[in-house]
Amino acid sequence: MKNMDIPRLKQIVGENNVKDDPADLFIYGSDASVHRAMPWVIVRPEKTSQVQGLMKFADEERIPVITRGSGSGMCGQTVPSHGGITLDMKGMNRILEINPPDVYCRVQPGVVDDDLNHALKPHGVFYPPTPASSRTATIGGEIGNNASGVRSVKYGATRDSVLGLKIVLPGGKLMSFGTRTRVEATGYQLHKLIVGSEGTLGVVVEATLKFVPIPKFRCLGLANFDRLEDAGHAVADIMAGGITPSMLELVDNVAIKAVNKTMNLGLPDVDAVLLYESDGMVKEAVDYEINVMKQMCAKHNGTGLQSSYDAKERAKIFMGRKKLFPALSKFSELHASTSLADDMAVPYSKMAETARKIHDVAKRHNIIMTAYGHCGSGCMHTKILMETSKQSQWNSARKAVDEIYEYVRSINGTTSAEHGIGISKASAFKAEKADSLELMRSIKRAFDPNNILNPGKMMDAPDDWVTATDLRYMVDA
Amino acid sequence: MKKRKFELNHLLKWRNTLDKCIRCGYCYEHCPVFKYTRWETEAPRAKLTMIYGLLSGKLEPSKYMADKIFSCFNCQQCVAACSSGVPLTEIFTDARADFAGTEFDTTGTTSITGYGCANCLTCVRACPHDARYFKDGHIVTDSILCQSCGICMDLCPNQSVSATHKYGTDRIYLNRQITDFLQRKNSKVIVFGCNWSFYPDLQSSSYDLEASYVPIYEQPDPEYKILINMCGGRLTKPLILDPFLENAWGVLVACCPDGECEHEGNVKVTAHVKGMKPVLDALDIDSERLGLVQISHGDKSGFQKAIDAFVERVKVLGSPVSGQSMNQNIRSARNEQTRSVR
Repeated sequence: MKNMDIPRLKQIVGENNVKDDPADLFIYGSDASVHRAMPWVIVRPEKTSQVQGLMKFADEERIPVITRGSGSGMCGQTVPSHGGITLDMKGMNRILEINPPDVYCRVQPGVVDDDLNHALKPHGVFYPPTPASSRTATIGGEIGNNASGVRSVKYGATRDSVLGLKIVLPGGKLMSFGTRTRVEATGYQLHKLIVGSEGTLGVVVEATLKFVPIPKFRCLGLANFDRLEDAGHAVADIMAGGITPSMLELVDNVAIKAVNKTMNLGLPDVDAVLLYESDGMVKEAVDYEINVMKQMCAKHNGTGLQSSYDAKERAKIFMGRKKLFPALSKFSELHASTSLADDMAVPYSKMAETARKIHDVAKRHNIIMTAYGHCGSGCMHTKILMETSKQSQWNSARKAVDEIYEYVRSINGTTSAEHGIGISKASAFKAEKADSLELMRSIKRAFDPNNILNPGKMMDAPDDWVTATDLRYMVDA
Repeated sequence: MKKRKFELNHLLKWRNTLDKCIRCGYCYEHCPVFKYTRWETEAPRAKLTMIYGLLSGKLEPSKYMADKIFSCFNCQQCVAACSSGVPLTEIFTDARADFAGTEFDTTGTTSITGYGCANCLTCVRACPHDARYFKDGHIVTDSILCQSCGICMDLCPNQSVSATHKYGTDRIYLNRQITDFLQRKNSKVIVFGCNWSFYPDLQSSSYDLEASYVPIYEQPDPEYKILINMCGGRLTKPLILDPFLENAWGVLVACCPDGECEHEGNVKVTAHVKGMKPVLDALDIDSERLGLVQISHGDKSGFQKAIDAFVERVKVLGSPVSGQSMNQNIRSARNEQTRSVR
């Protein structure tokens, strides 16, 4: 650990915005991933000029800088594997402007997603990327990971909603990328490059985001399938059916069993459940889309078809999916739920096959894996349930993850749909993007010649994620 | 008193449970301590991470760490929000048990008895958690049992009970909030809520934008503001009067229904409100301007309906008599209430 010039940092951001007690450093050393490392100091800037001062200082001293929002990332993006300064951006949490006539808002990076939507609601609009963690996730973190959620099938990911960004480069220079207009064909759109760069190119200090109208009607439907393959075929047919669902979710049998076992919800013990939703301003249009989806499900042997516009009914239908997380965590006393190989995207026609493959791999390696996800956008989520205290389980997980990613590449899928790369997915990412890694490194050098911004992530992360950092679990030798 | 050596004892049984926490952070936005400080290090997840550090031998115990462990209002909102079903407050209680009596022992949000205590034992009798007792000529707090509900702070006739960390639950902070709000255009009503029954989370609230900031010119002009005072039982009579000093049109006090309050604070605050009505009458303030409503845990829509109805009721009553003379009357009455033995 490098001796930090704490008085200088306090001079830049103020006495109360610097923490360096071992307990604080330990807390900021992990996120929602399996990794753990210690920063040297935590700094919480409150304004852009402070970020500029910090970046100048860090670049001069060659100190790594790791930008952090709520620390809810699942791949270790905010784990300071090379130490350095953790920049807690939650201190910059102002909504600067809401401009309905020009259909944009300007926010600081520490604004929480739900807060933004709360502020937008009176204007009849919402910011659509909204990941499942919107209650805590910050806009800055979502930009870093190009986050998206259940409705990305209709509204896209974060990159689709970002019009412009202000970022601070190493050395302290403030740059303004993008525009406030809906379209732009003015050279390289560097703001789009920053989205998904995981804090490796600059520190976002302001974002200009577009928003969309809140739909007046929302209808949610459900179908049960005795064969996973049938659900997969229904998904492919729905997406090819000339409609745009606002949500299309698949839940597999492992997940259903977990929910039934721990929550006693009495869901039918079928091979797969498909949840489909349509929203819009005109009820007839929503009716039409729901009916198309029902027909596609029926065509592929879907049973128990039901749908509702009523908010309470919709909540009831969605209950099984909503309870999935806690159900997996409570699955057994011995097993913990880990985020590994957890968000690949595959072509629609391969959804069912991918789910089968995941189950096969899990069985062979003596771990439990479930498959669920936003299949409307091709995103397949998994959770690995394992005995985290056993080294042998980590070895099995390593093999399983490798096999799954190899398969995903073989069917033209991609390593990450919405959680990003960080440390855990670096080896799969490097294998997938092998021919462009050097180009990416060149881009990184152009922004950050001294490599101080989130070093050791993405293309520069070690190949073996199990040993890349300490694991945040107590693993017996 | 001789301090014992710190040893991991009560915490040992939670080793496997700690791995259940997937570190999603859903507990953050529900935690009153985090909401106040906006530091991740004060969030429930951070406490679990620290405890993991202790159990794994990666962290040495310290007073700084203990201060975080003892800073918790036991509101259990984190437990309700946990996506993995981790019994956070049970774990925190065991952490307290391991820290209590050691060289790192501290008080955090738990109540402490200061100078001026007359040993009247009112707090000992009133504590709903049997956390206060008389020993060696002093009243002391069992910091493991204490739930930081604050009932003893309100009841102490000599105002000798306090807490080291208050995180926005103290009267000075709440008073500032009252003044700031009632100086705004269109402001009318102060609503005192309790953390247990309806702490307004950000997702479903339509009135609390404190976590993020919208410029004043962008904000609608709200007619009411909800202030959280951890437990209705902690709400003092002078604090109930304070909004009237700032020309509030009305004050609505919300508490848990009978039998649902973990601290029986609802009984006390109901008595307070009842007791304040004659005071208001004496001040020529229509006692209808002070309302009381019981709300079950998590009944946000019921809470909203009660607020809307109350605001409409005071709007019918119209603006209160304003002016220096009324303020002076209230100020005298408030001072009287502060002095009187409650």
